[in-house]
Amino acid sequence: MSRSIRPWLLTAAAATLSFGSATFAADEIIAPANLRFASKDASETPNFQQHVVPLLSRLGCNGRACHGSFQGQGGFRLSLFGYDFKLDHEGLAKGDKDKNKEPRVLIEEPEESLALLKATLETPHRGGKRMDADSWQYNIFRNWIKAGAKSVDEDSPKFVKLEVTPSEIQFGKDGQETQIKAVAVWSDGSREDVTPLCRFNSNDDLIAAIDANGLVKSGTSGDTHIVVNYDAGVVPIPVIRPVSDKSGKKYPKVATPTKVDELVVQKLSKLGIVPSDVCDDHEFLRRASLDIAGTLPSPQEIIAFQSDTDPNKRAKKVDELLERPGYVAWWTTKLCDFTGNNANNLNINNGYKVDRTQEWYDWIYHRVAKNEPYDKLIEGIVTAVSRKPGESYTEYCERMTALYGPKKEGTFAESGGLTYFWARRNFLKPEERAIGFAYTFMGIRIQCAQCHKHPFDQWTQDDFNQFTGFFKGTAYGTNPRDRKEELALKEKLGISAKLPNGELQKELSKKVTAGEVIPIPELYTTRPEAPKANARDKNKDKDNGKKSAREAPPPSAKLLGAETVVLSEHDDVRVPLMNWLRDSKNPYFAKAFVNRVWSNYFNVGIVQPVDDMSLANAPSNAALLNYLAEGFIASNFDMKWLHREICNSAAYQRSWKPNETNKLDQKNFSHAIPRRLPAEVALDALKQATLSDAEISGWLADNKNHMTAIPGSVNTRGGGAGNGAGFALTVFGRSTRESNCDCDRSMEASLLQTVYMQNDDQVFGMLNDNKGWIRSLSPPPAKRAAPPARNGGEATKARRNFETLLTNAERDLKKARKADKESEIKEIEQRIVELKDKIKQTKEAAESKTEEPAPREVVGLSPEEIIKAAYLRSLSRLPTDAEMETSKKFLTQSEDRLSGARDLLWALINTKEFIVNH
Amino acid sequence: MPTTTTCNGVRRRDFLKAGVIGGTGLTLANYLKFASAGEVASKATANAAIFINLTGGPTHMDTFDLKPEAKAEFRGEFNPIDTAVPGIQISEHLPKLAQNMHLFTILRGVTHTLGAHELGTEYVNAGNRPLPSLEYPGYGAIVTKELGGNGNIPPNVAIPASRQKTGYLGVQYAPLNTGATPKPGEMFSVRGLKLAGGLTIDAVEKRQALLSDLDKTFRGVEETNQLVKGLDKFGQQAHAMITSPKSREAFDVSKESPNFQKLFGETSFDQSCLLAARLVEAGTRFVTIELGGWDTHNDNWTQLKKKSPPLDSGLSGLLQGLQLKGLLETTTVFVTGEFGRTPKINTTRNGRDHYPRCMFMLMAGGGITNGQVVGKSNADATLPDSKGFSPDDVAASLFHTLGINHQKEYHTDTGRPIMIVRDGHVIPELFA
Repeated sequence: MSRSIRPWLLTAAAATLSFGSATFAADEIIAPANLRFASKDASETPNFQQHVVPLLSRLGCNGRACHGSFQGQGGFRLSLFGYDFKLDHEGLAKGDKDKNKEPRVLIEEPEESLALLKATLETPHRGGKRMDADSWQYNIFRNWIKAGAKSVDEDSPKFVKLEVTPSEIQFGKDGQETQIKAVAVWSDGSREDVTPLCRFNSNDDLIAAIDANGLVKSGTSGDTHIVVNYDAGVVPIPVIRPVSDKSGKKYPKVATPTKVDELVVQKLSKLGIVPSDVCDDHEFLRRASLDIAGTLPSPQEIIAFQSDTDPNKRAKKVDELLERPGYVAWWTTKLCDFTGNNANNLNINNGYKVDRTQEWYDWIYHRVAKNEPYDKLIEGIVTAVSRKPGESYTEYCERMTALYGPKKEGTFAESGGLTYFWARRNFLKPEERAIGFAYTFMGIRIQCAQCHKHPFDQWTQDDFNQFTGFFKGTAYGTNPRDRKEELALKEKLGISAKLPNGELQKELSKKVTAGEVIPIPELYTTRPEAPKANARDKNKDKDNGKKSAREAPPPSAKLLGAETVVLSEHDDVRVPLMNWLRDSKNPYFAKAFVNRVWSNYFNVGIVQPVDDMSLANAPSNAALLNYLAEGFIASNFDMKWLHREICNSAAYQRSWKPNETNKLDQKNFSHAIPRRLPAEVALDALKQATLSDAEISGWLADNKNHMTAIPGSVNTRGGGAGNGAGFALTVFGRSTRESNCDCDRSMEASLLQTVYMQNDDQVFGMLNDNKGWIRSLSPPPAKRAAPPARNGGEATKARRNFETLLTNAERDLKKARKADKESEIKEIEQRIVELKDKIKQTKEAAESKTEEPAPREVVGLSPEEIIKAAYLRSLSRLPTDAEMETSKKFLTQSEDRLSGARDLLWALINTKEFIVNH
Repeated sequence: MPTTTTCNGVRRRDFLKAGVIGGTGLTLANYLKFASAGEVASKATANAAIFINLTGGPTHMDTFDLKPEAKAEFRGEFNPIDTAVPGIQISEHLPKLAQNMHLFTILRGVTHTLGAHELGTEYVNAGNRPLPSLEYPGYGAIVTKELGGNGNIPPNVAIPASRQKTGYLGVQYAPLNTGATPKPGEMFSVRGLKLAGGLTIDAVEKRQALLSDLDKTFRGVEETNQLVKGLDKFGQQAHAMITSPKSREAFDVSKESPNFQKLFGETSFDQSCLLAARLVEAGTRFVTIELGGWDTHNDNWTQLKKKSPPLDSGLSGLLQGLQLKGLLETTTVFVTGEFGRTPKINTTRNGRDHYPRCMFMLMAGGGITNGQVVGKSNADATLPDSKGFSPDDVAASLFHTLGINHQKEYHTDTGRPIMIVRDGHVIPELFA
């Protein structure tokens, strides 16, 4: 079976095929061009799109460094990576004397064409020799020129798909080879063997090397894809060579309790990779809690789970975790990443003061909390408008003002769509929107196609340009139609139209707090107008209105890889866009989300990088991705279905401990991959590990003070975080939400992260916090007679003050001695002693910025109990015997048990086991 | 964090995007050729390097490779000026560097073919053409691995952050990102390096001993798991830095003498250069500084009038400062963007677009013969005059100054053998 690569085009082209099939038998395949054009006497006329342009690609003529450069090369320009047939044809066939460009073809004397002379090095060519005279390639160019060097026209057949055989390659030993065959299918029903016209690449030439003619050679063991390119076709073919002798029939029996496991093991068995065992309960609980709810399990929970004998306890735990506020906060954070909730981009002029990032966060939170179907959630973003049907501008402003007024009636989350998505500064131009939309909702990168054919995907510049049509009629601000109403509102408020933005914002904020109705920017769309025949045309073709209409077609836009939509038929052109997106046949929408959710649980996506679902970047397990995407759609886009389906699989619950066959596997889900906790989760886990037992249950019950509750982007100075956590979040790689890339979040480890964990004041603050575990181990401190200065700054100030007094006193003492005043001398001497003592005290206070708790004994807990508690709250397990011994020895050797306990907890949060999810 | 975005507005790795480029595998014949070539006799004198990444792709024709005689549609608005070295001319907006021309060398006619920011950046940061299946480590990671640490001073530092990858060498060789840049005359430190909570070294050592006794869960998987290996390394490095006053002081630019500080201007790039010199003196092996904003598709000359002065003063200060400290012989300075810019002016935008076929790079110190121009571009700066140099050649030369054999073979964690620089040759003229 072959893989079809343009499912959308395929359905669109089905009708055409039935027309054209009269001339081409379904199974008749035209012989490859290298055979048909081998002879000098070949008389066939090649086609520009089918033969000439692919050959230009194959010979490297339209590469970036050659004629594909935007400046051209040597006065000859081709479109980069092909597919701009008009430009390519003009580049070859037309010259321009003014610009010193000669035509590259000479129809009267084809052999004298500059293109042929240069490519065969008959005349000097900076790009070197590209082909031999009288080679089949040469004959194609020559015959094409001879027949008039024609370009493509409306009647030329359209590309339907590229069929590549074999659809999968399995190698077993060195020296094995397989020849790839590629057949192009055209809209006239013709099928041509285009193998010699394709470009071939290997995604890993160590595992499978491929030569220019499509011959694949076996390399080392592993799995990769080779990629075949022809026209808009990009077809990846998996190549596998088992890593052990346990593949195929020799593969051991591995339990596959779920469909997910069946599909994962199917791939593993081909590779000869045996998965690791299912992990222990404590390992599962810690992993699932961190992955699903972004928090550590509580100590009581760990004990209860260990002793629970219910065979379904893991599935029940998954259900329970999915009901926690932590799950809602974590997935709201992730969705804020994908949708780009960034304060800098939401700094809207002419607005009132409101935290739009918080409203954005709350809008998503509200929906994740009630598990709104994913497609419906996204619809609330894609087709968002500010006004309710039939609402006037003033009515809209009244309704919104009520949200912010003294009564705070209702919330933004419940008031309509997520309009701010369209108000972002980096999401204003139609091109930016097309790129951002494709990234957020489809997980694909189409930016390459903005300027040229996408080299690794099907998208052409034309596809890109036509897609931007959907993003033109939507704007955030004041609809020019409503200017008058807006002015009237301002007048009523006594606000001058000329007020500068900063002051305007202040004024408006004041008014809205006072309960007055203020003008509020809105997201609105305008229906694209069908073109009107202009007056001159009307006069000219009085009786032929139809002709004029045909000359100016109605505005249209084309869905990516799918049909064209007449925009003027829709009040809101984003509605057909959304319908297409959520359609069960859409090849990206469900998969993009499935893949992102999967990567949350497995460290890598089924497609990796997660947001690069281009054709050349094939999934490591296509059957698995398809199954989950289809199931997600069938569940009516139930996000919790997806989480359950993944988390209840044995694949998710595997141990991190590798075996001989799977220790090098990073992408086939044969064992858990130890991975650093994401920024917010890492810092929340740190906080939770240091909280007192009494505080932990409250901590898990809501998201108060959690890092996952921070709405917008943060900066290193703590901006946006509100609790001074900006630095830590930045160091641990919280998403910057700046560009259309999941890589805005960093999951890499770094030295600075370790420095933070080992020695940052914030971490010491947590360890020594009044509500912390360490303090809870001892009775409340007795009130001291003279509390030390609160912090270094104040202590220093006090010390300086004392020092001045001391200088004064010493001066007084000299005076008194001179005057020989006995009583005064004594009094001053006493004062000096006191001042010196005070200076010493303040000096010490200043030096110990974060006060160590005074050494005290722990009451009521044995060393074993302290050690167990420390392990449970940090590593979510009990210590091993050896760990217990080591820790006990440490505690007994400590000055006192309290500081011993603190050092123990410090050591545990600094183990790799703490910061790594495993 | 890097502050400048390029025209794509995206900084991403595009790991698999390199697919179309492919790469020629290293054949045995190739290897034998390299091995027998003998290259250039080692004159390695450097034990540290400073890498300045001019991100966005600085135009060669308006900085270090002016063509006053070129046609109007190529030439550009700026005039060349004489430098301290007779016969060498550079842009009139780089007067301080002109005065210090004897302290560095210009490479002209460096050439490659990757005209996208991400790929080009990866190329000039690693000296290997990017491959789809393999991530090459940047220079900093290689130098750190080859030369090792130097006491408690972090061996690889980026001010404020680096685009270099650690690739197959693993995250353990990643730079310490300062996260911020120093301000003139103000104390500077990396957060977290000062002993917190009034702890004594004794207490910290005791605690650390407990940590290493307890941190054993992942023992045995270090060799197959780069995260585990990296975290181990970071743990040791962090501890060493925290307990060493020397490492804290290495970052504090306010401790430099006023005379030394005077060499540098007030921009964050100037101050980063000052910090780089100080770190190298303290024992850091590799410092990365980023100066962005060179993606001048629009209003090339207006933008360059703003971009040139910080580069001019910061780099001059750095070269003079290293010389003053007696460190220029032992420190290699390497300055490059990801590509040059189109010699032919884009008249619709009055700018220049991406152009990898002809670009400049700068090198100084580390045994390099300073005060010369190596290589040459053709009359309109569209190509090297003869064969030109590849980024691989320059990378090989950089490693050469540091006494690192660029043909040395490593093994990736999947066992694939790979040379430090696959296709480069040391440029003999640099050491003439």
